[in-house]
This record gives sequence, structure tokens and C-alpha cells, in this order.
Amino acid sequence: MGAAEGVGSAPGRALKHHAGRRGLALGLAGAALLGAALLSFAIGKFPVAPAELWQSIWARVSGTPSPLPAAMEAVVWRIRLPRIAAGAMVGASLGVAGAAFQGMFRNPLVSPDILGVSAGAGLGASLAILLGWPLLAVSGLAFAGGLFAVAVVILIASRVGEHDPVLVLVLAGVAVGAFLGAGISLVKLLADPSVQLPSITFWLLGGLNAVTVKDLQFAAPALLLALLPLFLLRWRINLLSLPDDEAAALGTPVTRLRLGVVAAATLMTAAAVAMSGIIGWVGLVVPHVARLLVGPEFSRLMPMSLLLGAAFVIVADTLARTLAPIELPLSVLTAAVGAPFFLWLLGRSRRST
Amino acid sequence: MLRRREGLLALAALWFAAPGRAAATALIQLFGKPAARVDRVFAAGPPAAVLLYVLAPERLLGWPMNLSDSARALLAAPARDRPVLGRLAGRGSTVGVEVLLKLQPDLILDAGTVDATYVSGAQRVAEQTGLPYALVDGRLADSAQQLREVGALLGVGTRAETLAVYAEQSLGVAAAARGASTAAWPGVYLARGADGLETALAGSINAEIIEAAGGRNVASVGRGGISRVSMEQVLAWAPDWIVTQDRGFFLQARTDALWSALAAVRDGRVLLAPDQPFGWIDGPPGLNRLLGVRWLAAHLHAGQAGGFDAVAEAQRFYRLFYGVQPAREALQAMLDGRG
Amino acid sequence: MKAVLEARALAFGHRGVRLGEGVDLGIAPGEVLCLLGPNGCGKTTLFRTLLGLLPTLAGEVWLVGRRLRDTSRRDVARRMAYVPQAQTGAFAYAVEDIVLLGRAAQVGAFSVPSAQDRRVALQSLEQLGIAHLRQRRYTEISGGERQLVLIARALAQEATLLIMDEPTASLDFGNQIRVLRQIDALRRQGIAVCLSTHQPEHALRVGDRVALMQAGRILAVGAAREVMTPESLAALYGVAPADIPPGLLLQTGTQAAAP
Repeated sequence: MGAAEGVGSAPGRALKHHAGRRGLALGLAGAALLGAALLSFAIGKFPVAPAELWQSIWARVSGTPSPLPAAMEAVVWRIRLPRIAAGAMVGASLGVAGAAFQGMFRNPLVSPDILGVSAGAGLGASLAILLGWPLLAVSGLAFAGGLFAVAVVILIASRVGEHDPVLVLVLAGVAVGAFLGAGISLVKLLADPSVQLPSITFWLLGGLNAVTVKDLQFAAPALLLALLPLFLLRWRINLLSLPDDEAAALGTPVTRLRLGVVAAATLMTAAAVAMSGIIGWVGLVVPHVARLLVGPEFSRLMPMSLLLGAAFVIVADTLARTLAPIELPLSVLTAAVGAPFFLWLLGRSRRST
Repeated sequence: MLRRREGLLALAALWFAAPGRAAATALIQLFGKPAARVDRVFAAGPPAAVLLYVLAPERLLGWPMNLSDSARALLAAPARDRPVLGRLAGRGSTVGVEVLLKLQPDLILDAGTVDATYVSGAQRVAEQTGLPYALVDGRLADSAQQLREVGALLGVGTRAETLAVYAEQSLGVAAAARGASTAAWPGVYLARGADGLETALAGSINAEIIEAAGGRNVASVGRGGISRVSMEQVLAWAPDWIVTQDRGFFLQARTDALWSALAAVRDGRVLLAPDQPFGWIDGPPGLNRLLGVRWLAAHLHAGQAGGFDAVAEAQRFYRLFYGVQPAREALQAMLDGRG
Repeated sequence: MKAVLEARALAFGHRGVRLGEGVDLGIAPGEVLCLLGPNGCGKTTLFRTLLGLLPTLAGEVWLVGRRLRDTSRRDVARRMAYVPQAQTGAFAYAVEDIVLLGRAAQVGAFSVPSAQDRRVALQSLEQLGIAHLRQRRYTEISGGERQLVLIARALAQEATLLIMDEPTASLDFGNQIRVLRQIDALRRQGIAVCLSTHQPEHALRVGDRVALMQAGRILAVGAAREVMTPESLAALYGVAPADIPPGLLLQTGTQAAAP
């Protein structure tokens, strides 16, 4: 048996070195997020000079009235700030949910959509638009639709035998997702082509341009509620990446743990999608990049995915609202930005995921 | 500008009047040969339905779009009670070809922006079903000609002429208002959707009413189409007027803290276009907009047109085009967002 | 001496299909029991039943004096550890993180491993002589090293019984030797091991007792030399006694001199 490990010994130093490097990576990710948010705050279609922005921030902080015109104040504090916050929330949700699902399904090609939450949310929103319901109902039905879709998948998977629970979940998710997707297509066909169909199409393409503080007030508690169990289970989730037999032999209540993780990840994804529409690619690529930086161990992967996801969506959304004269759909940007960057990273990296 | 168009039309008429071809004019493309008497007409899409309804409502077989009860209340019998049959729009059709064959209309009428895809689609349907298919091109500015040509096709020339004169007057009102004013055209933001953050860009068929009324579409990027915008963009555009057909948005925007950052909202320059039975500015983008042109122009160029009684004009339009006589209160309620 | 694990009149199978019955097995503390049998005899299913991963169809399994069915998953994991065949995972976990997973039964439901847990994991690695691999990725080390990592993980559970499913399969000769030596070392520490193997010479080398299994039934259990005769092996594998290499059974069954 070796002597008691002290920090001064060689393995101890190596341990510290690695921990230090991982801490650095996390710090850099946090700095990137902050930088992206600040940059996004300063640019946009409405001309706000950096000096004016600074004046406005200073006025807020010191409690004095702002010297800026009302429209500019509105732009800075009631349009850009909520939008950046929403982008951060959506990115964080999708990043963490993606990391959790990839670990749980033991596959780096899994995205949070795999159990059909996006299809369910899309169908809910499309139906609400078709029926002419108010905006709050559109978000609400989208949220409910996302949860409902996954609930159906879990129900189906629990009825089918114990053959390979993970595979059954995936297949049920694919089937339910396809079914709900067909429903979306049907709704699009029935929608009025000049009024409703564009609204449905834009919702499905995703975007943060209509985000208000009210949306944040609903999404933030849902996100925190979902993050809490994932945070508490951040080490236990690693056990789910083992085959079920091994995890059970190690003392894990595998089915319960899996259910809890699915529920939490679905809740945060549904809340994000209800607010922003369907945004692909974030939940797939961000955990991948995070894994290249800090490894697959979930208690380290989770904060990294959270920060990177938030930064990524803020950057993509900033581009979406400044690149072209019209607003570009967010999912187009996340794919256009994410895919090449991901390929570059893969080419550079010599480690396997 | 009208003269140049007439000149072009004359040239086009010469070109298309070649012997052996069916009676095709610059705006109508005809596939198949309609019978002498066209009694039963299938409207392929909402603009065609409106066109058919105003010219010859008794020949309408059914509606290609859903009509609410309140919309039907503002339509004349017997068209009011006709069923919803679905639309014919290529891949996006909701009426089956077999249903069409069962109905055996004397003519299929379609109206809207015509491109090569649409033309080939119409040809295909005509060949498949053996039913004559009339495809009517033209935008808002061509309304008078559309009315005359389709009227000739259907044999209701007199009525068509009455409506065409009204159309020319409507479109002329805006031109006059434009001409009389030396000021820059007022900027108009067309707010669509429940949150008002969807708009039709300049050049889009859904927004052409703005130009027709003598306004300037603030969303002058790209070449048409519908797109989402952010509140920030709308603030940057700083429109003089906001026009919407969405009642929910109209009621909410006037008191919304964020929208009140716009001068247009603070000064009460937000207009709600009624949408029953058909929208005054869009939905569908057809002849139903002729009333909206006058109404919008009167607001945009207040002072030029003298006192404009929107409700009286609406009553006149509804009587002339739709064959119904709604009460003043009902129309006023629609304009105020109450009904 | 109370058995660590005991199966009495055990019938096992899965999805309603009965694969074996009448199994009576006992493993004493610090004993190495080797399970020998042809492909498809039900070894893996038996192991999964002994581990509590499958319900018994009849009979009982007793773990350290308690009925297995009355023991919680966590308590089972503290007493009995499973060492599967090493495979590559989908993700490149660091070796020390893999071994740390063995502490799952000791760590609170919503907690992360403590410094003490990390110490135990490190000690397990050192015990197997692979502490130098701790920062390496599991997917980048050799098959033999991976098997040792899994044994280290089982040790980190601080269990008194290890159940190993063909630990030397798909290992090269050198790695096989290494693993077998570790099993020797474990026995010396008082940890019981139950392993299955396809190689009779391995059973002879490390096994205190050997159980011959065929078609879900235990044909014989006893000291290695007594149970493993050319006739019994031939009957077990369905070959002629003359096919058994004569040198195979000449080993003394005692371990190579320990360092």
C-alpha cells in the first residue's frame, strides 16, 4: 500500500496541474461568455455609440437619470439586455441538456431533440398559431407539447421489455418525433398561407427577436428548477455512461437515475425551445467542444457546456441580428457558425472524444 | 405611368392574339377551352375567390379558405353558405383532384403572382382533369384590368366595368395625394403577427398597399417576402405610421411600454385594418384591398383628401363589391378594435 | 466459516426462459472459485443472477449472511463487486475517473466524491501497480491495462468479493499473466474472487476450487486437481479425452513464486 498522498508528491503535483489547467479552461470559457455578452450589448441595428452605452450603464449603476433619449434607453435595457439574457439561457439549457443526453445515451452524436421534445414543442406552437391563440398561449402550448412528447416516449419505452432500455428510448423518441413532425407538416398545410404559415415557419426556424422580459420570467425558474437536480447529480450521471449492468452492480438505481436526468434535461430544453423556437446544433456541438476541452467527466463537463453554450448562442444571435438587413433565423446561424468551427476543432485535436 | 402600361398592354395583346391560340390576354393565361356559358367556377385560392365573388358571386362553387362565422355574416347569399372546398396550389393543395373532377366546374380560376412554376402547375392540372384553367396575373395596380378581363371571360362585362372604375378611382386617389404633396412620403411599418414583429418587405405583394396608398415601406431591404424583425430594428426605422390587421397586436401595442418608445405609437398613429369578411390591406392580397388603399391614403395624407369618412366609404364599398350593407356601428367597431 | 456468497437450489434464467437450475454454490472468504464451462452454458446469466442483476427463478442467493433480495443495491455494491470484460467506452474517461466510479456506493446520493474517496481510488490503482496510468484516457491504454483498471474500480468499492466475467479473454499472453498474478494478490489480501474462464490452465493456476458448468447445471465442484481430470474436461466440452493436451493438467496448481 502506498504512503499517504500529499500534495507535494509527484502524483499530487500532477493532480494539481491538471486541475489547474481545467480551472483555467473554465475561467476562459467564463471570460468568453462575458466578452460575448458585452460585445452583443454594444452592437445592433439601432445606433448606440460606446460612449452613450457607457453613460447609460453608469446612470443605472449610480441611480441617476440617464441622459439618453427614451428610444435608446429602451433599446439598450429592454431589447438588448433581455435578448442577451435569453440567448444565454437558451444556450446554457441546450448545452447542459446535450451533455447529459450524450453521456446517458453513450453517444456523442446525440442532441437534446432525440426524444422528440423539439417536435412536440413545434407541434404545440404550430397548433396554437393555427388556432389564432395569443402569444403567451403559443409559448405555453409549445412548452406543454415538448413535455408531452417526452412523456409519451418514456411511457412507450417503459412498456416495452427490458431488452436494451437505452436503445428502446432512442427508437421510441425517433418514432414519436417523426409522428409529431408529420403533425407539424399537416398543420402547415391547413394554415392560411398568407397570414399563419409565415408565422409558423418563422417559429420553427427559431429566433430571439421577440423575446421580452415576460418570457424570461417564465423561462428562468424552469431552467433553474431543471438545473438543480442535474447539479446535484453531476457526478452520479457518469455512472449512466457505463453499461446498465455495470452501473447497477456499482450500486446505482439506473432506471430512476435515468428518468430523473431525462426529466430535468427535457424540462430545460422545453423551456428553451418554448422561448426561442427550435434551435438545432447547439445541443450537439457544444458538449462535444466542451468534452475536447475538459474531458467527459460530467461534473466538469456540465459547467463548461453551460458557459460555452451560453456564449455560442449569444454570438450566433448577435450575428443573426446584425449580419443582414433582415433578421436571420437563429438555427441557420448556429449551424453556419457551429459546423465549420467544429470541423476545425476536430482537425486540430489529436485526442479522441 | 398608366400610359406606358397601356402601351405595353397593346403590344402584348398583339403578341398574344396570334391565330389558333385560345383567347389569352396579357393578364389571363388560359389552359383548355371554356364553354360558352361559364356557370360553375372553382376558385383555386383566396385572391381568386375574392375576384370571383365580387364579379359573379352566384357562380362560386365553394371557398378555398376557412371563413369564420363573422366573415360569413358579411357575405351575401348564396355564396355565404357555400362550403369550404380547399385550395389548389400545386404541392400545397388541400383539394383533391378527384374532388375537382366530381364537382366538374366549368372553369378553374386562379389569381396571384404568376411564375413559371405556377404556369406549369396550372397546365398540368388542366391536362390531368380536362377542366379549363384560367390563371390571372397582376398585382394591386392591375386591379381594373383584372376585373375587366375576368368580367369578359365570365360574361359580366357591365358589372366588371362598374367595379373597375371604382378600382381606378381608388388607385388614382393615392396618386393624386402623392402628387399634391411635396413632403416626403410618410414611412409606414406593416406589423404582422400577434407580436407585430413580422413584416412584409418592400416589393412584397403583402405590402404593396403601402406604396399604392402613397406611403413608403420602412422595411426597404431585399426584394420582397416576409421576414421577422426585432424591436430594435423598428425603433431604428422610426416609422411615421404603423398599420396592422391583427386586432390583438393593435390593442396591446398602444399601451405596451416598449412600443411606446415609438413616436408613432405615442401620437396615436397606429391603424387597425378590419379583416371581415376579407382584410382591408391583406389576407388575401386581392381586390379586397381597394377599400384599404383609400382608407390608408386618407390617413397618410390627411388634409389632401379633405374630410374622409372611412365608415361611409366602407359602407359604399361593401355594398358595391360584397353586396352587403353593414351598419355604421359595426364598421366603426371593427376599426376601433372592438368587433 | 461463513460463506461470502452462497447460492442454494438456485434456478436462473431471463425473460421467462429457465436456463439453469439446482445450482448450489458457496464461496468462502478469501477463496478463488473458477467457473469453467463451454460457450452458452449460462455462465454469464448465472453471474448476473448472483450479482442480483437478474431475479432468481427459484432458490436463494445469500450475500454475507443476508438474502440478496433483501439487500439494497448500495449494500450489495459494498460487499460484492463486478468486473466485466474490458471494452472501450464511448467516451475517453480518465483512468482515475473510472476507478472513482467504484465509490458510487459510498458517496451520498447527491454528493460528489470526497478527498477520502479519491484516496481510496488512488490506493486501488497503486495496489495493482497502475497508478502511473491515472491521467491516461481509458480508450488509449492496452486491453490488459483496461482490465486492471476495472479490477481497480472493483477494489475501490471495498468489497470482499469480486465476480469476474472472463477477465483474461482477448488478452495477450503477457497481460493474461499479469491479471492472474493480481488475482493471486487479491486472494492473499483476503478478497474472495469468483471468475469464469475458458482456459482450464488458468483455473488450475489461480483456483482454490473449480466448478464445472454445463447447460445450466453444476456438474462438479471441488479442489482443482480433483475436479479437473481429462475425462471430466472432455465430457464438459464434448471432446475426446485423448484430445486434451497431456501437459495441461500437469501444473501443480500452486502459484508462481510471488515477488
